[in-house]
Amino acid sequence: MNDASPAAPASAPQAAAAPKRRSLAHRLLYGANVDRNVKARARVGLAILAFCMIYGAISARLIFFGMHADGQVARRAASGDAIGTARPDILDRNGLVLATDVRTPSLFGEPHRIVDVDEAVELLTAVLPDLDPRETRERLSSKRRFVWLRRDITPEQRREIHRLGLPGLGFLPENRRMYPNGSEVSHTVGHVNIDNQGIAGLERWLDQRGLADLHLAGFAVDRLQKPVELSVDLRVQHALRDELLVSRDKFKAKAAAGLVVDVNTGEVVSMVSVPDYDSNNPKEANDPTRINRLTTGVFEMGSTFKALTLAMGLDSGRMTLNSSFDARMPLRYGRFAIHDYHAQRRVLTLPEIFTYSSNIGTARIALALGVEHHKAFLKKMGQLDRLRTELPESAEPLVPKRWGELNTVTIAFGHGLSVAPLQAVAAINALVNGGKLIPPTFLRRTEEEASKLAKQVIKPETSEKMRYLMRLNAEKGSARKADIAGYYVGGKTGTSEKVVNGRYSKTKLLNSFTAVFPSDKPRFLVLIMLDEPQAVEGTHGYATSGWNAAPTAGAVITRIAPLLGVQPRFDLPPADRQILASAGLTR
Amino acid sequence: MTFLRILNLLVIAVLVSAAAYVYKIKFDSTLEAERLAKLQLEIRRERDATAALRAEWSRLDNPTRIQALAGRHLALKAPDARQLVGLDNLPPRPPSLVPPGSDDPIGSIIEYIEEQEVPTGSIGASLRRP
Repeated sequence: MNDASPAAPASAPQAAAAPKRRSLAHRLLYGANVDRNVKARARVGLAILAFCMIYGAISARLIFFGMHADGQVARRAASGDAIGTARPDILDRNGLVLATDVRTPSLFGEPHRIVDVDEAVELLTAVLPDLDPRETRERLSSKRRFVWLRRDITPEQRREIHRLGLPGLGFLPENRRMYPNGSEVSHTVGHVNIDNQGIAGLERWLDQRGLADLHLAGFAVDRLQKPVELSVDLRVQHALRDELLVSRDKFKAKAAAGLVVDVNTGEVVSMVSVPDYDSNNPKEANDPTRINRLTTGVFEMGSTFKALTLAMGLDSGRMTLNSSFDARMPLRYGRFAIHDYHAQRRVLTLPEIFTYSSNIGTARIALALGVEHHKAFLKKMGQLDRLRTELPESAEPLVPKRWGELNTVTIAFGHGLSVAPLQAVAAINALVNGGKLIPPTFLRRTEEEASKLAKQVIKPETSEKMRYLMRLNAEKGSARKADIAGYYVGGKTGTSEKVVNGRYSKTKLLNSFTAVFPSDKPRFLVLIMLDEPQAVEGTHGYATSGWNAAPTAGAVITRIAPLLGVQPRFDLPPADRQILASAGLTR
Repeated sequence: MTFLRILNLLVIAVLVSAAAYVYKIKFDSTLEAERLAKLQLEIRRERDATAALRAEWSRLDNPTRIQALAGRHLALKAPDARQLVGLDNLPPRPPSLVPPGSDDPIGSIIEYIEEQEVPTGSIGASLRRP
């Protein structure tokens, strides 16, 4: 400030009496013995200088704004962030995208700022032809401060609307869930509602794991969330679905379902239930025929359950592969008689009971061990409790309230106890993987993690024998049509009669086929289910599982084995040498 | 007193320059913050664009679509298990039929074939045997 007074030297002598400490400017401006003219000039000069500085600063700032005009855009954009929740991507086991977020603009209006509603509606319908003019007019004439006009428009439409130059219209970017594979993995992945909240499948599981809370707190807006990796393999999923669709058409079945499970980790590699729905069009999911039959439905699994009964017999230590049971006459129980479908009318050994799928034989095995033993075994195998996976949809098995001997007889061959197919698969898994019951999962899991979760339910030797029986069935029994060269497939057919009006129907069947490959050292298990398949040309009038579900499983294995990295091997010896002898067991 | 006056002047000068310096720092930091916000916006835009492209790619790469296209335009068939061969099942590399520097290559090939059996193909050993 000192240099602000040009008159300073002139006034210096007069200010000699004033205290030396007072500043020059102060003396100039307020000193009592300073000439009024000099004082006024100094004050004006000071004011001029102050104003010059202020205006200089303002114009410097203006010039700066002019040069860096776009510096402000960033701030404005950061505040108008997306409002739909961002969800983590869902990937398959190879990193292919199953579900992802796409950010799309949504159009909104602020009715109080609209000048001419009719003009706005007219121009808008020109750009968005499918916009309902009446509804739009109503919305824009309302008293509300904010109305959505159209969610999810394309960037081109956004540009065109922007170019209309209408006041009171704006855009907000929103996250929209997209499922590039449509219906291929819909039952596993599930879907979201319009506000991007998961309402089915793994999408719902994600929300239940805290994503919903994160969303409410306003944190889940960016896509910086870790993607979720599933155990599902999209290529296997496609192959399975494709083959199931072919079979469903060929055998005129009402529905078809299939599962591929990694035997050693419990990972579900593929799960298909057709008819299915498109995740991008969640309305279809409400159709009851499109439910996921593998987890949401419960079924009497038929002869597939015989594998469990035989494993129970072998594991009890009271029977060996050479034990035999009388199957000469139908088994009479009260007013019921149990018949064999492929009746042999002779004494059958355990392997024969399995390959001929003898109802009488399996019933006698279960009876020999008693009701309580049977019940305890099925409990141990997880068949009597609801199976929980990541999928929110699950069904409780239908267990008879009073479990008598007759129930044991029928449940031994798979009637009278309804379970979810995924549940039955988990149990059969344990029969062939060395006796470890592993809860199935839809997420990635290593073998070590699986063995921590696993529960030893049967002895490893019993598992060895079950592998032998499964393979034997493909060599000599009902699973011959699934014996694909090179993969050493083993399997068990299951044909159960559906209950219609309280009676077992002879014509409405639910067929299933459980295959393991390679049987000597199982890696994968395949379940195929066909709902009400018909006898068609080439099946010689049969509609049983060996004629439709088994060849379907064969076709599926041919396609998926190379994808899953299973090396084909040829010229392997038959089951008794390859499996039994190498494990040090004998018949 | 001259000393005090000089000190005063000095302090004022330091004060003014400090203020100017602080102002500059603040101004620079504002600039940097704006640049940061702009870059973040750009990153987000790029990421959104990548996500959109990835979604589009997965839609185009969908197995059902590829299978339909392959069925329509290609004469390929599904592979048979016998066409898959591991490295250890490959036949040994055939010896060079034409010795280097030979002036009659065709003649030496014929000679070689007459001498011994040439291993071919990848079919298992048991299939080749009658």
